[in-house]
Amino acid sequence: MESFIIALFVCMVLALISKYLSIPAIPFYILAGVILGKAGLGIVHSDEVSHFFSEMGLIFLLFFMGLELKLERIIADPSKVLVSGVIGLTVDMGIGFVAAYLLGFSLMESFIIGAAFYITSTAIVITSLIENRKLMLRETETIIWLMVFEDIVLIVILALLSTGNQNLLLFFAKIALALGFMYAISYYGKEFLISILDRDDELPILFTFAAVLSTASFSLFLGIPETLMVIALGAALATTDPDAFEQHARPFKDVFLVLFFVFFGVTIDFSGNLDWGIIAIICMLAIVSKLVSGMLIGITIHDSAMSGLEIWTNTISRGEFSIALAVLYGSPLVGATIAAMVIVTSIVGSFAAKYSTWMRRGIVSHSRKKALVHRPHTGR
Amino acid sequence: MSAMALRSLNLPGVGTKYEFETDKGDTVAIFFTKTGGIQMYTLQKGCKTPSAAEMSPVEARRLGNILTGAIIEADQESVEIAFSALADLRITIHTFFIPAAVVGKTIEELQIRAKTGATVIAVCRHDRNIINPPPTFVFEQGDAALVIGESDQIKTFEREIMVK
Repeated sequence: MESFIIALFVCMVLALISKYLSIPAIPFYILAGVILGKAGLGIVHSDEVSHFFSEMGLIFLLFFMGLELKLERIIADPSKVLVSGVIGLTVDMGIGFVAAYLLGFSLMESFIIGAAFYITSTAIVITSLIENRKLMLRETETIIWLMVFEDIVLIVILALLSTGNQNLLLFFAKIALALGFMYAISYYGKEFLISILDRDDELPILFTFAAVLSTASFSLFLGIPETLMVIALGAALATTDPDAFEQHARPFKDVFLVLFFVFFGVTIDFSGNLDWGIIAIICMLAIVSKLVSGMLIGITIHDSAMSGLEIWTNTISRGEFSIALAVLYGSPLVGATIAAMVIVTSIVGSFAAKYSTWMRRGIVSHSRKKALVHRPHTGR
Repeated sequence: MSAMALRSLNLPGVGTKYEFETDKGDTVAIFFTKTGGIQMYTLQKGCKTPSAAEMSPVEARRLGNILTGAIIEADQESVEIAFSALADLRITIHTFFIPAAVVGKTIEELQIRAKTGATVIAVCRHDRNIINPPPTFVFEQGDAALVIGESDQIKTFEREIMVK
């Protein structure tokens, strides 16, 4: 328990520092875990309690993602989401997967690394778009839809990875049953749910917590992935009053997710037979591959390489979802690789996003100067 | 006149966006973000980079008051409420700090209703509010009065009663 309090206290200090410098806190939480845990000082150890809290963090993260998932809007205008989404998926996941495989990871490990390599951090990206006052840029909308597409791909990846060796027919029948049950409750019980959420006593928070937790444990009982079911619960409840659910689930998510990041860092072991060269290559590629996909998206959607640059600078950061994949399916080696990638890309990404306007201006004025210099030769 | 199109858009994870283009081709965009702030962007016609301001809800309401044309003075505020269902009735509520010339006089003596048509509905004195003060009410040093009326009546009140 003492180690737990140390971790919490360190996180609070780090959160203050990161807010003061206005850079994302996620890499700091992981670093704190790494320094306090196995790979560093060895003060903080993961135990059953921390494991439970980390699990809660993951579950609430996914529940939130489900709440934000508004499928009917995507179906209403799929072209917006599809074109850029497919480019991002093929380029980034392709580069990540092939690179990991060539660097000696197994097929399965390469798939996990590829997926973690592909999925950007919605939390970091959206916060930095707001904080850097980029909401009006035309690229912003493209980036936001890119995030939505990635969420859907993540759901598919989670579904693929969790099928395992089960009887597929039975597996999908169980999932369909659970989905039907959740949507039926949100549809027929809509008024009742809203009346509960409207109360100003402890009931709304208690209800939200209980709904998420019982869904998770019930799916364990049924033998279906709780990750998927919590996302589905979020999506189903989003048809009632998503804002109220977000408000009531936010405190749980905020606290548990920080612990999730820290204890992910704690379990990381950098001392094993790690090849730092491989990790460096993956980190570099993680930045470069987003440049490639960003450029391609900028040119296809906005007809401008400059837009591509803007998309790149805002989508470098990997974060919560990459770590979720590492925690759920990664071996220690994969975990360490993804941890390093998240730390490097989120720090580089936050600076790139902050100074992208300067960079664009620099490029524009540079090319203007060039044009001026060249004019005498081309003029007459 | 072509009505400017106000586009509204819900951006997943970010919040709600409202955007419109003015007749002169400038663009104004407002974002109500999920973090509770309000960001306003203005983009001049022909310009590529917008300028932005982030406001708290209170600041945004102030800006709104200014834009709707209510009288705003330093430290003194007014709010205009339009009841579009009642033949576009516009009621302004304005706060005034009592000048020295008014101190010691009653509402009756000042003939506020007769001279201006406006009504003093509340007076704030030492952080306490006196609602609906009677005609015999005597103004003191440091009072702030909340006056209600139509925009013209408020202007008359300012001119006739708030003499320095």
